[in-house]
Amino acid sequence: MATIREKGYYHWDGRLEERRFPWWPITRTGIQLAFRKKWFKFVFAFGFSPAVVFLVLIYISERLEDFKSMFGGKERLITVNPKFFMDFLTNGFLVFIIVMVLVFAGAGLIADDLKHNSLQIYFARPLRKKDYLLGKMAVIFFFVLILTFVPALVLYVFKLVFAGSFRFVLEYPWLLLSIVGFAALMAVFFAFYTLLLSCLSKNSRYVMIIVFMIYLFSQVFYGIMQSIFRTPYMALFSIYENLLQAGAFLFAQKPPHAVPVVWSFLVLAAVCATSALVLTKKIRATEVIR
Amino acid sequence: METKGRTPAVSLGASVREVFSFFFFLGRRTGKTRVFFLVGMIPVGIAVLVRILMAGRADDLAAVFSEILMVFFVTFYIVILSLFYGTSIVAEELEGRTLSYLTSRPLSKTGIFLGKYAAYTSLIFVMVTASLFLSYFIMNSHRLREAALYGAFLRYAGVLGLGILAYTAFFAFLGTFLKRAILVGLMFGFGWENVIQYFPGSTQKFSLVHYLKSLLPRQPSAGGKLAILLFRLEPSSPATAIISLVVVAAVFVALGCWVFRTKEYLFEE
Amino acid sequence: MTPVIETKNLSKWYGNVLGLSDVSLEIESGITGLLGPNGAGKSTFMKLITGQMKPNIGAVTIRGKRVWNDYRLFSRVGFCPEPDAFYEDVTGWEFLTGLLRFYGFTRAEAADRATRALAIVELSADKDRKVRSYSRGMRQRVKFAQAIAHDPDVMILDEPFSGLDPLGKRRLIKLVKDFESEGRTVLVSSHVLPEIEAVTSRIIMIHQGKILAQGDIHMVRDLIESHPHMISLRSPAARAVAAAFVDDASVLKMTFGTDGRSLVVETHNRDAFFSRLQAVVVEKGIEVDEIDSPDDNLQAVFDYLVGK
Repeated sequence: MATIREKGYYHWDGRLEERRFPWWPITRTGIQLAFRKKWFKFVFAFGFSPAVVFLVLIYISERLEDFKSMFGGKERLITVNPKFFMDFLTNGFLVFIIVMVLVFAGAGLIADDLKHNSLQIYFARPLRKKDYLLGKMAVIFFFVLILTFVPALVLYVFKLVFAGSFRFVLEYPWLLLSIVGFAALMAVFFAFYTLLLSCLSKNSRYVMIIVFMIYLFSQVFYGIMQSIFRTPYMALFSIYENLLQAGAFLFAQKPPHAVPVVWSFLVLAAVCATSALVLTKKIRATEVIR
Repeated sequence: METKGRTPAVSLGASVREVFSFFFFLGRRTGKTRVFFLVGMIPVGIAVLVRILMAGRADDLAAVFSEILMVFFVTFYIVILSLFYGTSIVAEELEGRTLSYLTSRPLSKTGIFLGKYAAYTSLIFVMVTASLFLSYFIMNSHRLREAALYGAFLRYAGVLGLGILAYTAFFAFLGTFLKRAILVGLMFGFGWENVIQYFPGSTQKFSLVHYLKSLLPRQPSAGGKLAILLFRLEPSSPATAIISLVVVAAVFVALGCWVFRTKEYLFEE
Repeated sequence: MTPVIETKNLSKWYGNVLGLSDVSLEIESGITGLLGPNGAGKSTFMKLITGQMKPNIGAVTIRGKRVWNDYRLFSRVGFCPEPDAFYEDVTGWEFLTGLLRFYGFTRAEAADRATRALAIVELSADKDRKVRSYSRGMRQRVKFAQAIAHDPDVMILDEPFSGLDPLGKRRLIKLVKDFESEGRTVLVSSHVLPEIEAVTSRIIMIHQGKILAQGDIHMVRDLIESHPHMISLRSPAARAVAAAFVDDASVLKMTFGTDGRSLVVETHNRDAFFSRLQAVVVEKGIEVDEIDSPDDNLQAVFDYLVGK
């Protein structure tokens, strides 16, 4: 039998180079897969409708003279200030659309990998657990930031354009940071929230229901408890109300509930911490079946 | 095999019975059912808390039950359960690639669909009734000698039962032909059903929740923190409501059977 | 002989992709092997026969009855599907007894049949474990058990040997062969040709949705006249054998092995070659160690038909 050398085997002298962003292929695939779903494009596009409405309001606010008759002296209603941006980023419809987008694009991120035993394939490559998780989270960051930060930035720019001056920037020099901060907070929270639920089941259909159910239930539960106990601390049970509290703090506005804002941040942080813990345990290359 | 046994034909009734038995048993076992059952225990926990905090305030207790807990059951709990289990009738067989185990048996497709529908509605009814029973009787533990109490409980259970039948039938029908039935179901159950109720006149009648609320013994009031749950109700008569819900259930079950029988289902490769 | 399974102009498309094209054949009782590479159309064919899919054109019948939507047929048909899919939250026992109840068997009958089926596939000791904890081979065996537990006359087995270790495969092959002696009709598909060869000599070859050949493997081979037969022999006097055939018009090519003892002959007429070889060996007293037909097997036949 011919020796290996004679068979044409060569020792490889190359260097193993790691990809600079090993998580990027995971993110790119996750985004592409989401856009392949027909209904998703429709829901995603619908998510920009609040931005259109607020853009019109900015336009009207700069042309108040022309629209005076519409408002009958109540022009103060459209004042473009930090509260305006906070109202845009925390409006219930936008948050609802974000949750629907997560149901579409985020529910199956880890659930489908668990179902198809893909984790072994992922970790047979030079990929660390944190790269895998970062790749998955980046999919959610992408969608949440596209629906929050990007339109808010566009509104900010159009405000300056329509105003024709930088007076707005000088008046609220920290506003851009507030926008970045709150959009980032939403992106990080929803990423942890969605991935926590996605890793708990192999059935992505079930995860879709759970993602939506927990969000809605938190609001329902807050309503029930508020009606019974009539204390503002019940707002801590609601994901949406906690985001409102955090938003009010970041935009230097009065919080909607008489609850120390730090509690809301703690609740959101607790969800993220729980998620990080569970994800670390759940994401493994091997599955043990008992 | 040693001997060739008889190979009996299976009637529609027997098909439904055996499929019901298998999937009711299977459904009880799954982790998802345990999770949904635990969600149903939340109103029980609330009932315990409220009972302790509002001891001696009978009217307030009654209001909490009918305006809060019952609304939770009607507009949230049964909708979520019906959506998941209803769409699962077909979707779980396709996702799990187990449909061939059923369709290569001497079972009519109508029998399979009806059997699974019966199994899942029964499962939902057991979960909902357990939660309702505990929360209701905890809230009314001071009135256990009153006969009217039990009549009211049966009425609540009946309303929820009709709701389960109607919602599950509708979502099961969606599940027979839509790939993303859950998403359409979410938009219907928590979008359409909420929004349409704010329209006056007959438009409310284009929702299932309208008929359920028309059957509740004590009508909930509108407004307040629960505005997302409560509607400006212009109730239909109880007879109309019951007939409408039964007809909706029957029509969508029939449509679901027909689609399931005629459609060809391919596993996603 | 009346065919058990019959297809007439059977065709199936998946959108623009052709799954099966104009397949007309008759399958009689006994074991028939369906073979072809991955993507050839075997599973499509199996799904059409078991009513999982509806034909676009043509029809498939079992015992003269159209399959699509005729659920009554399945009281006599057993199907072992290809996907590794189960109701995961049940034990092997519950899986079998549950499915057996769908045939109308009583609880006791279903238990009895399940016990026997599990014993046949050697899963009795693991019957109370959840299916999700089974190994790949055990899952394949319980899948096979559900196909045979109700004593069907007709068995459609889609890749039944996949995932089995060599011993398991051998046991299952023996089991399938026993079905033939019991007068049942078995259609077995595989892309691993030796598996089909071990089970039956009656084959249907499928490639790119079309039937390439059907019948006994040797007959099919003989019919491929465009390709000469290869015969190899080993003998200390290989060159003497070759010399005797140099002037034989039916011999197309002769190749000697490097060891000087082997000879490979290509001929159009195998029967004539063997008769003449017999005469030459006896006449010249030549010692022959081994005679073989390297291409008288499924792989070679398949390669010829596919055009490799």
